[in-house]
Amino acid sequence: MSVNIYSDEATEERAESARLSSFVGGIAVGDVVKSTLGPKGMNKILQSSASGDVNVTNDGATILKSIHIDNAAAKILVNISKVQDDEIGDGTTSVCVLAAELLREAEKLIMTKVHPQTIVDGYRIGSTAALEALKLAAIDHGSDPTRFRDDLFNIARTTLSSKVLSQDKDYFANLAVDAVLRLQGSTDLEHIQIIKKVGGKLTDSYLDEGFILDKQIGTNCPKRIENAKILIANTSMDTDKIKIFGARVKVDGTGKLAELERAEKEKMKAKVEAIASHGITCFVNRQLIYNYPESLLSEKGIMCIEHADFEGVERLSLVTGGEIASTFDRPDLVKLGHCDLIEEIMIGEDKLIKFSGVAAGQACTVVLRGSTNQMVDEAERSLHDALSVLSQTVKETRIVLGGGCSEMLMSNAAEEAARKVSGKKAIAVEAFARALRQIPVILADNAGFDSSDLTARLRAAHYEGRSDSGLDMDLGTIASMKTLGITESYKLKRQVVLSASEAAEMIVRVDTILRSAPRKREGV
Amino acid sequence: MANSNSNAAFNDKGKPMEVRLSNMTAAKAVSDAVRTSLGPKGMDKMIQTAQGEVVVTNDGATILKHMAVLHPAAKMLVDLSAAQDVEAGDGTTSVVVLAGSLLGAAEKMLSKGMHPTIIAESFLKASARAVKFLEEISTPVDLKDKGSLLRAASTSLNSKIVSQYSSTLAPIAVSAVSRLVTPSSSDVDLRDIRIVKKVGGTIEDTELVEGVVLNQTVVTSAGGPARMEKAKIGLIQFQISPPKPDMDHQIAVNDYRQLDKILKEERQYVLNICKKISRAGCNVLLIQKSILRDAVNDIALHFLSKLKIVVLKDIERDEIEFLSKSTGARPIADIDAFTPDKLGHAELVEETQQAGARIVKVSGVKNPGRTVSVLCMGSNSVVLEETDRSLHDALCVVRCLVKKRALIAGGGAPEIHVSRLLSQYALTLKGMEAYCFQAYADALEIIPTTLAENAGLNPIAIVTELRNRHARGEKNAGINVRKGLISNILEEDVVQPLLVSTSAVELATETVALLLKVDDYHLTR
Repeated sequence: MSVNIYSDEATEERAESARLSSFVGGIAVGDVVKSTLGPKGMNKILQSSASGDVNVTNDGATILKSIHIDNAAAKILVNISKVQDDEIGDGTTSVCVLAAELLREAEKLIMTKVHPQTIVDGYRIGSTAALEALKLAAIDHGSDPTRFRDDLFNIARTTLSSKVLSQDKDYFANLAVDAVLRLQGSTDLEHIQIIKKVGGKLTDSYLDEGFILDKQIGTNCPKRIENAKILIANTSMDTDKIKIFGARVKVDGTGKLAELERAEKEKMKAKVEAIASHGITCFVNRQLIYNYPESLLSEKGIMCIEHADFEGVERLSLVTGGEIASTFDRPDLVKLGHCDLIEEIMIGEDKLIKFSGVAAGQACTVVLRGSTNQMVDEAERSLHDALSVLSQTVKETRIVLGGGCSEMLMSNAAEEAARKVSGKKAIAVEAFARALRQIPVILADNAGFDSSDLTARLRAAHYEGRSDSGLDMDLGTIASMKTLGITESYKLKRQVVLSASEAAEMIVRVDTILRSAPRKREGV
Repeated sequence: MANSNSNAAFNDKGKPMEVRLSNMTAAKAVSDAVRTSLGPKGMDKMIQTAQGEVVVTNDGATILKHMAVLHPAAKMLVDLSAAQDVEAGDGTTSVVVLAGSLLGAAEKMLSKGMHPTIIAESFLKASARAVKFLEEISTPVDLKDKGSLLRAASTSLNSKIVSQYSSTLAPIAVSAVSRLVTPSSSDVDLRDIRIVKKVGGTIEDTELVEGVVLNQTVVTSAGGPARMEKAKIGLIQFQISPPKPDMDHQIAVNDYRQLDKILKEERQYVLNICKKISRAGCNVLLIQKSILRDAVNDIALHFLSKLKIVVLKDIERDEIEFLSKSTGARPIADIDAFTPDKLGHAELVEETQQAGARIVKVSGVKNPGRTVSVLCMGSNSVVLEETDRSLHDALCVVRCLVKKRALIAGGGAPEIHVSRLLSQYALTLKGMEAYCFQAYADALEIIPTTLAENAGLNPIAIVTELRNRHARGEKNAGINVRKGLISNILEEDVVQPLLVSTSAVELATETVALLLKVDDYHLTR
């Protein structure tokens, strides 16, 4: 008699078949993003099945986030890419590709009857050796401001060269470095606001100090204020009615009604008076400001900006140093925001409001222009990646060389370590080294160069002691990465190797996949 | 570089190639759809919208906006045209045609086995160089030189349906923009130019109005005046109707005498407001639309007409800013704040009948702001809409000259010139880049070719002759579509702003580069 152990739709995959399905899943995900790696990487079109919206990107995290995946191992890879995005902001493709390559090697080893635990041990040894080598190769210019700025510039250039902004990377690298240096060591990217406007070309983008709000100044208000005192509020300026559910007034004539209306207006007037008593010259409200209060405020020469959204109000409060107020009875307790100048500016066909000389000196705004929506969206993602990498580098100032140089270095270190290991583990350490070597191979493949020839030459160069050699993606040759200025953040590289090997180890150790019965839902 | 394809054998590039080709096919289909509408002899498209409306246009951006494209690459081309509309306002067809031609060139190179990123990067480099060449042949223009501005505006209008009226519309566009320009301004907000559309008359009746034209008509249902000299204009944002507080309310009526009282009070209340308005000296009243209650009711209209006040209602909230700016009247949101100093002054407010349409004009405004009103007329709404679009394009062309004060020749002359210089430059290069530059140069010839094709000329004969003339140093030789031959295009007064051409080249190349780099296509959530 057979007994059902699991409920109807739950499934169980064991041993060989479980391993096979996780390898296939992981490698498939790696292959999806593989072609986006590096300066000559390709873009993907993502089309939303629900709304039909089109997105063009080569950001690994964005691609992985949006595709449908129904495979446990693949989901792990998506997750590490997400974590990489949150922690560092860049290297999201690399981490996924490296993990997939590690799995590919592991699959081969398992075919030759190496026990998964042995593979895991070998990978551990490999990654320790690799990280050690990476640490030794790292350079630190943190104490020398001018050289450090060069470093940052190089990192930004390297990051951007694999993105849509590659053509104008020098321009944007400068822009990103300036923006990050304004932050003075903080990694809070909230201070850098990115505004996207379609029209113009990418190089029409610019960095502006201060804050730009994509809203309109109210009718009849002054359009330019110097030395502004700003009150940021979240209060209803439509009608100040008593909000009691079901409250209802009973009157016996129109005259009474008129009195009531008058009383309401008086109440609003009192509120406006209270607001004006803060001695402000600019009033920003998250909600709408109706005609009546608006005209009262403009009469007092106060600029009013209505409907500034949650995000706008919060950022404004952050950069101008003002608090968001919702009651106005105690002017002495409310912290006002300050800035030197508020004015209207035009970007493309739209009018926006610019707050310059704000209290938080580190705040700045990047205005991105581009030919299509997809272009500016992708430019924003690229710039965001560069900014986050830079802000991380400001904290952890060590840098390493890019262009496949670090990978080759680590791969060699791992191979070196393999020789000292006795037993079966050594094969796994060698596999680890091979997986690392795949990164330069993919880089070269994407650019249409002869990958096997190039990596062989690169490896030879490293053995000859030219440890700064990497791939020159423009010419398709081996060159010194130091002279080309291809640098990457140490933290980024370290995190890539760490997360990728951890994820691979985790997946290799799996020998059973249990899938619980899906919850019954309609139409999903 | 030489052995770049030696590993092609063990790399399956089947799918990426397929995706790329599908993108190109889609993009080229879009570009072919608008191609025939390029140039002065371009054809028009009739579009039936989902609501059953009919639009006749040859404006690229408008055609593409109405095309319900599905393919992602095609969508990007639609966006591209919209971006050109934002940036330059004109050349929305050329930019798409150019992008299509560049993709065609890229396709040929892809089939030769060149790597897409190399093509994309070379194209971007070529576009930067093309822009430089364009700047070199441009002539700076002074904004005071009305003649040049006029020529540029007429060139733009000549390619529209309304081309035979270009002599009417071009001066309107030029003077409208130049009124808004200060010597230091680098941009013009076209929202300060208001185009009021009225069906009636012909396009020739379109005029630039001294003062302000209103969309609304005077309310005469209560017999009020429709003409007022020495007008004092009040712009109100409150309502002249029985009171209605924001709180929920109920009037309790116990017997019929109370009913009389309520009615009387209501009249009294409205009368009071009207009297206050009259006392402030106001004799023209603009009333903002209200959704909560009647902006003005019948009793109020009656009182106002007795007090000899011209009434215009249904002013939209977003119009207030413009009206306030152009009449000098400040908006008033409460009856108690209704004071004489907030009124705007004008010599005359008058409703006139013009070719069957009722038009309210405010003329002789005392302190006019920097705004312009254009009254646009046309015999039916389809023609009217197209006139509006063409006028907008012409305004944009003049605005381009404010943004970047330089002109270049039209009629395909700059494209041929750039194409020639680029091919010369390509000879100095080595490797794949040289190939890409040459292809880019050839792709630019699509503009003169299409111009000639649309004009019913022999494109091959025309383009080769054009090349020949340019090679002999006639930098300004272009296609004279009217006469069907090659001539010095500057003498024909065919000029266009530099910005239109440079932005078309840059935007088209950017989009093509982005598309070329695509190698896969995913459906997402």
